[in-house]
Amino acid sequence: MRKLNLAKISQFFFLILFLFLFVRTEYRGKDEISLAINSFFRANPLVVISYFLANFSLNWLLLPGIIMIFATLLLGRFFCGWICPLGTTIDLATKYIKKGKPLYFLKTNLKYYLLVIFLFTSLFRVNIVGLFEPIAILVRFLTFSFFPFFGEAIKSTWVWMYKIIGEKREFFSFIYNFLKLNILPFRETFYPLSFFSFFLFVLIIFLERFEKRNWCKNLCPLGTLLSVLSKFSLFRRVPTKLCSDCGECKNICPTSFDREILQNQECILCMDCVFKCKYDRGKFIFSLKNNREVNFSKRKIIFTGLLGGYFLSKMDLFYKDNNRLLRPPGVLDENDFLKKCVRCGECIKICLKNALYPATLEYGLANLYTPVLIPRKGYCEYNCTLCGQVCPTKAIPQLPLEIKKRSIIGIAVFDKNHCLPYAKKVNCMVCEEHCPIHKKAIRFYIQKVTNIEGKEVVLKKPYVVDELCIGCGICEYVCPLTSKPGIEVFKFKEPLRSSSYGYNGDIKIS
Amino acid sequence: MKRREFLKILGTSLTYQVFKANDVSASIKSVVALTEGKDYEKITKDAISVLGGMKKFVKPGNIVVIKPNIGWDRTPEQAANTHPLIVKAIAEECLKAGAKKVKIFDRTCNDPRRCYETSGFNAVFKDMKNVELKHIEFERFKKIKLNGVFLKEWELYDEALSANVFINVPIAKHHGLTSLTLALKNVMGIMGGNRGYIHRNIGTALADINAVVKSHLVVIDATRILLDHGPQGGDLKDVKVLNKVVASTDIVAADAFVTTFFGKKPEDIEITLEAYKRRLGEIKLSNIQVLKS
Repeated sequence: MRKLNLAKISQFFFLILFLFLFVRTEYRGKDEISLAINSFFRANPLVVISYFLANFSLNWLLLPGIIMIFATLLLGRFFCGWICPLGTTIDLATKYIKKGKPLYFLKTNLKYYLLVIFLFTSLFRVNIVGLFEPIAILVRFLTFSFFPFFGEAIKSTWVWMYKIIGEKREFFSFIYNFLKLNILPFRETFYPLSFFSFFLFVLIIFLERFEKRNWCKNLCPLGTLLSVLSKFSLFRRVPTKLCSDCGECKNICPTSFDREILQNQECILCMDCVFKCKYDRGKFIFSLKNNREVNFSKRKIIFTGLLGGYFLSKMDLFYKDNNRLLRPPGVLDENDFLKKCVRCGECIKICLKNALYPATLEYGLANLYTPVLIPRKGYCEYNCTLCGQVCPTKAIPQLPLEIKKRSIIGIAVFDKNHCLPYAKKVNCMVCEEHCPIHKKAIRFYIQKVTNIEGKEVVLKKPYVVDELCIGCGICEYVCPLTSKPGIEVFKFKEPLRSSSYGYNGDIKIS
Repeated sequence: MKRREFLKILGTSLTYQVFKANDVSASIKSVVALTEGKDYEKITKDAISVLGGMKKFVKPGNIVVIKPNIGWDRTPEQAANTHPLIVKAIAEECLKAGAKKVKIFDRTCNDPRRCYETSGFNAVFKDMKNVELKHIEFERFKKIKLNGVFLKEWELYDEALSANVFINVPIAKHHGLTSLTLALKNVMGIMGGNRGYIHRNIGTALADINAVVKSHLVVIDATRILLDHGPQGGDLKDVKVLNKVVASTDIVAADAFVTTFFGKKPEDIEITLEAYKRRLGEIKLSNIQVLKS
């Protein structure tokens, strides 16, 4: 009888948990999100360490990650073999992929260079390691590529059914409604960087053509960090060498038996060697003996990291002041935001009105995948605080609703060359209608004017009350002009609108 | 048929139409029912029975669409959405009259999920049988020839068009552009496409739509009305509690009558005036008979 491998069960459990939390990262009728996928980032040593390097501080949200660091120091890289959903996905896929020869250039110290460069970039106050963080890669692949297409496929089937059988499709509505309410995104949204996110994921799977767990062993920055931490771990596998009469472990082991001697820091504790050993020799024990080989120059890596990190962190300063780089509510300081954001894409996934999108290279590498609000695509819903709730590092602060309603995202500005009452002398006022501020941040004055046809008309001309506008973007979103909107939101950073602001100075022009 | 004969028939029928129409507006009064009270379900049912009961409108086996205003992410107290209990009472009356199914929906302005939740509709209709509270599905909008003055065609919601009975249930509230928003404007909730477009000529556009989409019954929620900063409001200071419900089969008369709750003249509301000019109903208060229970 085959013995039950606990590692496999754990992998399966965490993959299911991951997918469950991913699906739960969506508004499902409650203002508060109790469970979200951010747990996987909060328990992530790479996120913790890069956050610490960038901010020289920690926050309590990251406590699970700190615990994970100590657990790794003690037990080794169990995260990779027991928890990591990307690792599990790779394990599931690799069975169907024929192996060639390992890639030579991955067998160098490349992964250490990469990790150190990213960590130094964090030290220089730009935290871009999230770009290659494995869980983030998986979440972004699901959010930006897989889910939109999956949702679209189901939705278009549903629409197609309507076109073919009309009202009769209601018989199947219980299936569709179930999917819609529990799994699918509410709205089919397409994201930029969809292809890139897909590509990165597929590339990682493609690397399995060369050897097992290629990404994990030779590139993954989280894996590399964990391997550094686990160099001194006390829990290790014996025997530490291939047995002279068998040597089967070399084929079974996905990561650590490249050579005759077990590379302890690469061992992901998958337990395959224990369960598949014909002689019952392999086992894991607590031991103080260390069989690590040192074969690279730390000085060279640190120096490259320093230079590379400095270069990467300063490279895209140009984009910092982009006045359309609108951030989620509560983000006050751009520098602070770049220090904390993991680029995991959760805020984008959960955004109620699909106002948030991943920043493309248009905003520079340092901003890649950070959330940017595009009012023409969606606006920030006045009574919603979800993005702050799912952010794993508080880059988007979790604000009480009353504070969020006063947090400034930007400020709306009319373009009188386009805005209808000004440009065409016809009434419109859709923006004023939608403005959610109680006292209305968009108001109008009434004027009798001669219109383009020479007729006398009473015109309502809108203006923005700067002291009240928070830049939620609904005005730009609903502007009925199909070309360029007549009102646009631009970046404007002030801490908060005053709660007691009593602006009542209506302008009367006759 | 000869040309001369044809013209004769055409001429007489046209004259007849004109005379007949004048005749109607001169002699038969439009009726609105007005009820008052703190039990919103009861006063709604009372208002309907004043008009002769739901059986007059809904026949057994009918599919009924109720179109409330659920446009905003606001609570019932904030008076931006129709009160769910009023809609509940109407739905119950429809079922009692033998309706096969009652569908309730609105094309919302804020996020539909939040609107349905915050407005209290989800909670009220969760367990009601044969009543469907539905989200708008955009493939259901169909291009309809309106041949109106401003709108030649527009996308309208198929379920609203195909229903046997269409019941229009707005809340009475302030609106920046149009001064008030009532039943005539409430039909915007079944419009697809870029609705903001019609704001540039809103009175004419809404008359175009209302001429095609007939509201068989209009029930206006004036239990709380929003006096300022509409149509969203948000501040309870702008809300006035009236505890009134108005019902009518004449959409213009209902709007005209409710306008007086705000201390305004019906003729000053562009949408109502335009609809009256297009003979969609009565605007003159002197020609509107108010029945109380």
